[in-house]
Amino acid sequence: MRYPHLFAPITLNKLTLRNRVVSTAHAEVYAEPGGLPGDRYIRYYEEKAKGGLGLAICGGSSPVSIDSPQSWWKSVNLATDAIIDPLARLAEAMHRHGAKIMIQATHMGRRSSYYGEHWPHLVSPSGIREPVHRGNAKVIEQHEIRRIIADFAQAARRVKAAGMDGIEISAAHQHLIDQFWSPRTNFRTDEWGGSFENRLRFGVEVLNAVRAEVGPDFCVGLRMCGDEFHEDGLSHDMLKDIAAAMSETGLIDYLSVVGSGADTHNTLANCMPPMALPPEPFVHLAAGIKSVSKVPVMHAQSIRDPVQAERILASGMVDMVGMTRAHIADPHLVIKIRDGKEDQIRQCVGANYCIDRQYHGQDVLCIQNAATSREATMPHDIAKADKLRKVVVVGAGPAGLEAARVARERGHEVVLFEKQPQVGGQIVLAAKAPQREQMAGIVRWLDMETQRLGVDRRLGVAADKAMILAEKPDIVVLATGGIPYTSQVPDWGVEEGVAVSSWDILSGKVEPGKNVLVYDAVSTQAGFGVADFLSSRGSTVEIVTPDVKVGDDTGGTTFPIFYRRLYAQGIIPTPNFWLDKVYAEGDKKIAVLRNEYTEALEERAVDQVVIENGILPNDSLYWDMKELSKNQGQTDVHTLFASQPQPSLSQPLAAGEFLLFRVGDCISMHNIHGAIYDALRLVKDF
Amino acid sequence: MSFSLAHALTGLFWLGALLLLGGLARRASLWQQGHSASVSWLGLLAMPKRYFVDIHHVVAREPAVARAHVAAAGGGVAILLLSALNYGLMLYQGWLDVLLVLMAAVMLLGARMMQARRLQAPPRLSQGRWQVLPARLRLFALGSLLAAGLLFAGPQMGMAGQLIAVAALLMLALGGAELALGIGLGWPMKHAVAGLLHLAFHPRAERFAGKSSDLKPLNLAAGELGVAKVEDFAWNRLLSFDACVQCGKCEAACPAYAAGQPLNPKKLIQDMVAAQSRGTDPAYAGNPHPGREAAVVVKPGEDIVGSVLAAETLWSCTTCRACVENCPMLIEHVDTVVNLRRHVTLSRGEVPGKGSEALANLRNTDTVGGYPLAVRYHWAIDLDLPVLQPGDQTEWLLLAGEGAFDMRYQRALRALVKVLKAAGVKVAVLGAAERDCGDVARRLGDEAGFQRLAKANIATLAQYRFDRIVTPDPHVFHCLANEYPAFGGQFEVWHHSKLLEHLLARRAIPLKADATPLPPLTFHDPCYLGRYNDGFNAPRNVLKGIGIKVVDMQRSGRDARCCGWGGGAAFTDIPGQRRIPDMRMDDIRETGTGRVAVACPNCTAMLEGVVGERADVIELAELVAERLA
Repeated sequence: MRYPHLFAPITLNKLTLRNRVVSTAHAEVYAEPGGLPGDRYIRYYEEKAKGGLGLAICGGSSPVSIDSPQSWWKSVNLATDAIIDPLARLAEAMHRHGAKIMIQATHMGRRSSYYGEHWPHLVSPSGIREPVHRGNAKVIEQHEIRRIIADFAQAARRVKAAGMDGIEISAAHQHLIDQFWSPRTNFRTDEWGGSFENRLRFGVEVLNAVRAEVGPDFCVGLRMCGDEFHEDGLSHDMLKDIAAAMSETGLIDYLSVVGSGADTHNTLANCMPPMALPPEPFVHLAAGIKSVSKVPVMHAQSIRDPVQAERILASGMVDMVGMTRAHIADPHLVIKIRDGKEDQIRQCVGANYCIDRQYHGQDVLCIQNAATSREATMPHDIAKADKLRKVVVVGAGPAGLEAARVARERGHEVVLFEKQPQVGGQIVLAAKAPQREQMAGIVRWLDMETQRLGVDRRLGVAADKAMILAEKPDIVVLATGGIPYTSQVPDWGVEEGVAVSSWDILSGKVEPGKNVLVYDAVSTQAGFGVADFLSSRGSTVEIVTPDVKVGDDTGGTTFPIFYRRLYAQGIIPTPNFWLDKVYAEGDKKIAVLRNEYTEALEERAVDQVVIENGILPNDSLYWDMKELSKNQGQTDVHTLFASQPQPSLSQPLAAGEFLLFRVGDCISMHNIHGAIYDALRLVKDF
Repeated sequence: MSFSLAHALTGLFWLGALLLLGGLARRASLWQQGHSASVSWLGLLAMPKRYFVDIHHVVAREPAVARAHVAAAGGGVAILLLSALNYGLMLYQGWLDVLLVLMAAVMLLGARMMQARRLQAPPRLSQGRWQVLPARLRLFALGSLLAAGLLFAGPQMGMAGQLIAVAALLMLALGGAELALGIGLGWPMKHAVAGLLHLAFHPRAERFAGKSSDLKPLNLAAGELGVAKVEDFAWNRLLSFDACVQCGKCEAACPAYAAGQPLNPKKLIQDMVAAQSRGTDPAYAGNPHPGREAAVVVKPGEDIVGSVLAAETLWSCTTCRACVENCPMLIEHVDTVVNLRRHVTLSRGEVPGKGSEALANLRNTDTVGGYPLAVRYHWAIDLDLPVLQPGDQTEWLLLAGEGAFDMRYQRALRALVKVLKAAGVKVAVLGAAERDCGDVARRLGDEAGFQRLAKANIATLAQYRFDRIVTPDPHVFHCLANEYPAFGGQFEVWHHSKLLEHLLARRAIPLKADATPLPPLTFHDPCYLGRYNDGFNAPRNVLKGIGIKVVDMQRSGRDARCCGWGGGAAFTDIPGQRRIPDMRMDDIRETGTGRVAVACPNCTAMLEGVVGERADVIELAELVAERLA
């Protein structure tokens, strides 16, 4: 028997889960106006149910009160009876596939932004501002406490009425309940602060009210932190005492534990551990809580692969494993484990594209799976085509690999040309950066899938027009990516060899210099990655950007990791400067910088100047072939954006005729998700 | 002259008859080493039917050989009967001489055909005295023809006639010696006498009345612990070994032999012959157990296993019954293998490989794999299958068997439940109350373990009310249907292939309406469904019922090759040159379908365990579930 612990059912109160795999509560940013789950929301969860998971807890941080804002991040709104019908539809969809569904309920207290919607005055035990959200708050008053406790009970009533399987109360990530717990935020001297019992009072009263509303048989869970990682915050020992006390109440059926506080940028980055952190970095905190808990313990944080999950369960550290991002990357994870298809799991690499978007108020998307949360239009399982064609894909970066994979899944004969000896395109370089190695996991899956499916891969072959036409293709997909856009400013001197590109450094073509200036004009992961790459090899590095801060276009869980390394390694951050010119003087390179706001010029004398300026589309093959193609290389955006087949696909092709399309960076610079989405939405209809 | 020839023939006849009786007495004394057995003397009356019907079913699968045997044996028997009348009883009738000439001509033809076959003998046939037998039979036939011809022609032949008469008598003596001395000296013609007696006193006489493939219980209370020495066999079992004609059909059918494991079923039977004759019979001249010497040293008084027979030989058997199915003499090899194993397991505790671990697991956990019983239905937790409590009632009781612990097979089980639910079948399970059926324990010789499990399961099942049991595991099916009745367990048990066939025939399973043609596949017959229980048609009808064409393998149905799991062989895992499932996968590949349907959890595991490129292995229920509307 494989995975005996992973596939052992567990019963929480009266709720039996078919296995130990949970999609834990996270903000989806999919709710329809008013905070109601719609078709997209339900399909997103239903896909996981189809995929075999035991329990999904939806609606991360769904507020129970109208003074806990939800609209700016499209959260589920539990403060209204209108939620009952949509939740009922969700529950029915999940139950149809044998999965269970709960929802997280909370009041965020100070952990929000006051502007927008009702412009509420946020409440917190002692009115201390929350730094990350700039959450200015007032001191919560007695009548507000009573109202919010009643709001929790009303929310629980709605959840139960909808036929959901349970409700999880959040006391994690510095929501209102743990704002009462934490010495960092609760300085009250009344019955709601001070002693251990007083600080726990609010949470216990919430649970009492909820339990009174839903009765003894309904599953009620509590999510809590295992250590806030702040000197003035809740320590692991304090939280163990709290966990013991909460499990002692008999009001809850499980405890869900996460590591790290979340009210600073640096602690927030721990909550959804990015690839830089080791696997399951905080499981020991959950295990510590389990040692004092009378109820089962759930834990989610970087549990991404089945063997790891089984090991954690088998060692007895926790009773249920949250594999939440793992399900965003592959909602069919559990069935693939069950059916011995572990190699076919699209494994989460911890790139945190999902959560970084969420912190910008954008809908959660997966960097590698463009079908996730687009289930209405994008297939997770690709159906076979009626009419089989010959498809030639040029370029085996993410766009080309995805195009080849999808075309092959459709049943077409697929030839994939790649001029490099290995697949992966720019991701191969991205994975060279320190602590970014797991980016290669995105390629690994596409690499294995294209091989498993039998794509005819011609690696190390730079395809030209003649070679492509010799394949007698029906469809040609160009995914030729780009080249470093160092030509934008001739004065940078890259042509003359005065400055080099970030690709030159990451690929190993150019040795790192001793004293290096990295100029990052785009502020994505790439610029900091090359700076870190150089610094890690002993270079003294200054990173210069015209943006307001270094790494400005990386998300809330990504830039803190960069900054930890930046300060630890002494990389000098210089934002707000343009690079005007680089010239050689003796054995030094002189970089001329210009301040964005003062126009003042500065010079640096360094050994090496490295330019990261994104890419220029590599489109020469496109212009070579455009005129020859039946569709003149055109992609119809109306049908593309409507997820409909390209009109040109329905026209008969005479002998020698072919259709030509492009995907990814060879059109213009996008990111990995953009490249993969380009390929999926186009090729799914071939 | 004619007077003296006739009398010589009379003398020769009675001499032969006496020698034969003496030889028979000697052979019977060997059989008497065995213990008593309850046999019916009525078996002697049933002998002709068993000979002409039951044996013919097997022999007729090779028509040319059957015809040759009919001619040679039929002619020979007719000559003997006619000679008995004409010469033995001294009637000396001319018309009987004419009949004799005719019969001798028939026998001559048959013996000629057999001799021709021996010129290009398939390797499974033993050589030695068997190789020269047809020539001796020709001599006998020719001698008969000449002698009877001379007698009919009368005395006018003169000198030439006398010479021919002498030659004929010599031929008769030489040829007739094969039979007259054969039984006593263990020559090939022993088979004629022992074979006929074997038919009369067959140790599994019920096989002549219908299917019989169940193992027989040991009386443990009486101290029966299987066969250690020759005398632990029943006398009629020893007789059955002497019926062997060394045709090697068992050898050709045996999967272990083909895999180069040290088992040749023909040699195994001959080893038993050598043991009971204490090595006095002519040396064995057939293929040895692969990788072993052909010669055996018989040490009277020693246990069979470890002296005459190597333990590895015993443990190579998959109990697939391909040998039994193909044996023209109706010898029951599997009974003997298991009887010998019982001694090794129960008395010596020497089960090789993982076999002893499996038995320990069964003792300690009531499962082969050592699982907690409570986890058997974990796969069904989201299917809302009712778990019966004592006193509960259901139409169908599903026994998932050991396959329920295997994640791959759980897919098949889920598919089965899905189909049954779609068909509106009311099905429930026992949950943690289900124990292993005991198949592995019994085939590994642990009869005590089997009986314990069987009795425990029977007692458990008595607590519930159900109409029928359905199981997808042919081993569970076989045990419950055929082997539990000996312990008082009378249940109506269906293999799921039969239930699916039944439901499809009644159009109870809602199938997709679309008529997209499904790719053909091949079907691998499970031994315990097919050869053990004649369940050849139900799975094929299921596949037909969902619109899938079956391309049968060359070895299919009765001739299907085992997957290599049965009889605990997957646990004892005796090394050979190849693995049996690899060979089966080759059979599958030959069909060119790239897909094989299976109907047994163990076949599923064995075939999916084939490394490298292989066909897709799909359980019957999965194929039906795919077609659900």
